[in-house]
Amino acid sequence: MKSWRLPAREAESPADRVRRDGCWRCVLAASILGLTAAANAACPPAAADGTVLKSGDLVLAYRPLLKGKPDRIPMAQHFALEVQLCDQGGISAARLHKADATMPEHRHGINYRPAITALGGGRFRVEGMMLHMAGHWRLSFEVQAGGQTIPLAHDVQID
Amino acid sequence: MRLGLAALLAFAATTCAGADPPQFTAAELGRIAAHGPWPLPWTADPGNRVSGDAAAIRLGHALFFEPRLSANRRVACASCHDPARGFQDGRATARGLVAGTRNTPGLFNVRHQRWFGWDGAHDNLWSASLRPILDPREMGGKAARVARALRGKSALDCHYTAAFGKRPDAGDPELLVNVAKAIAAWQETLVSPATAFDEFRNALQRGDAEAAAAYPAAAQRGLGLFLGRGQCTTCHAGPLFSNGEFGDIGMPFFIAPDAVDPGRQGGIKRLLASPYNLLGAHNDDRMRDDPTRSNATGTKFLRAEHRNFGEFKVPTLRNLTLTAPYMHNGSIVTLREVVKHYSELDEDRLHADGERILKPLHLAEAEIDDLVAFLESLSPDAAPPAPIAPPAVPTCRER
Ligand code: HEC
Ligand code: HEC
Repeated sequence: MKSWRLPAREAESPADRVRRDGCWRCVLAASILGLTAAANAACPPAAADGTVLKSGDLVLAYRPLLKGKPDRIPMAQHFALEVQLCDQGGISAARLHKADATMPEHRHGINYRPAITALGGGRFRVEGMMLHMAGHWRLSFEVQAGGQTIPLAHDVQID
Repeated sequence: MRLGLAALLAFAATTCAGADPPQFTAAELGRIAAHGPWPLPWTADPGNRVSGDAAAIRLGHALFFEPRLSANRRVACASCHDPARGFQDGRATARGLVAGTRNTPGLFNVRHQRWFGWDGAHDNLWSASLRPILDPREMGGKAARVARALRGKSALDCHYTAAFGKRPDAGDPELLVNVAKAIAAWQETLVSPATAFDEFRNALQRGDAEAAAAYPAAAQRGLGLFLGRGQCTTCHAGPLFSNGEFGDIGMPFFIAPDAVDPGRQGGIKRLLASPYNLLGAHNDDRMRDDPTRSNATGTKFLRAEHRNFGEFKVPTLRNLTLTAPYMHNGSIVTLREVVKHYSELDEDRLHADGERILKPLHLAEAEIDDLVAFLESLSPDAAPPAPIAPPAVPTCRER
């Protein structure tokens, strides 16, 4: 599974555009759009949605939710993940079914069983993750759509 | 990694001249930095509403040394957790009212642990402090006896009342939990001082080659093994030299010819069955429902695995010179023998389905010496540090 970050240009949100242009009309438009746009602004995922994985039409973006450093998964500390699912039509109707992590070289997984909560709008929160050793971890996700289970994985180095 | 290249080269140049300590790579320097800074900043325990409270700390200090909490009025926490030995007892396995099966852990820096006990049967410091009071093998206490001990001394009574807003009452279902929270509040103040290793680590961070060179060459070589071939940091990570989780390093777990210590497997069962875990009513954390901040996250999402059988908590490696003998069953007497254990590891003793981290290291004698020198440098080099005096509470007169 290949992963990548969306180039900044594609990932620009209305707020980013305001910051870049500093134009008042944009501010106005953005704030009016704000409430209605919030629900579907997440597809395709923006840079702030974190790491983007893809399988066919399905796009999965995840980002760790942490008290301090927002984009680095810490070693041996609990963290939650926010996951956004998108497809060609925008927000995906698929369901995040499973999230887990393993250390392939050590042949073991994590000591916790993460729980998934659907937040609506293709968004999910995964709670209870902890990567308890430094080294190579594989984050794995299972997404269910139309009676199919789609696996996605992403390798991360924790130190 | 803050150390500049120039400083790095200067450091390498000066150390090359000496008894050839290793030249650490940038990656290794980053990993050395991750074992600090020390001491860690103190934060209140959100699950304990009297954490940091002066009256509770004072009360907890007095109760830690109070044998009248026990069934025979002769066993106190300090009987096993002796301040002169890093809050350990020097025995292989503890002896309270009767003989136990596990080694008494030291209590310095206990505030920073996630799990308590060798099997992590407790997820918070106050329930780990309540267990020995009630355990018939350790102190065999009960609420009536504890209330009597508190009311029998006006200072204890006064500090209890100041901390909890009511007098100690044997009929109060919160009495024992409150007492345990006070003893926990005192134990939270037990912090061991910076060591020779910490000074070395800080010197590298500052790029101060001269100060770094004061760290013995043998300890530096031992550190190199610890980070490199030994892979010790995989489990003994961070400022405490523990990732706070559990592992199997091939220690025997028979405690009698027909009995075993199941380690973490039993610990998870006891934890989840305890009314004093963080999912229970006694957790004072106001953030307990917030997924990114709750102190109960670890307990809520625990997953029991087959491999937990025979796993024990990865212990901190600070203050080891004070806390011999070693391991959950106290079966290894010296640090040299510990290192030899890792050097000659019997792979057949490790779980077949377990992790593939540990391999026999086949260390040379000189390498064993180096690793021991490094481990010793994680302890204070003078006398055991005295705990800081508990704060005074002006409204309570001491006798
Ligand atoms: C009979 C000796 C004995 C007495 C008395 C005793 N302890 Fe312990 N303590 C132990 C042993 C043995 C363990 C390890 C228990 C285990 O692994 O289940 C332990 C573990 C602990 C831990 C967990 C430490 C860690 O690093 O995991 C704390 C905290 C603790 N004791 C505090 C206390 C307090 C507070 C008291 C008095 C109320 C007390 N102990 C009385 C022997 C004793
Ligand atoms: C797979 C994780 C893991 C690795 C890797 C590991 N340890 Fe340990 N270590 C443990 C566990 C778990 C214990 C406690 C085992 C028990 O009591 O049964 C322990 C115990 C110890 C102790 C005894 C501490 C005490 O207070 O009793 C020392 C010292 C130690 N290890 C040093 C090392 C060194 C040096 C290395 C590298 C050569 C190393 N460890 C590698 C997990 C690990």
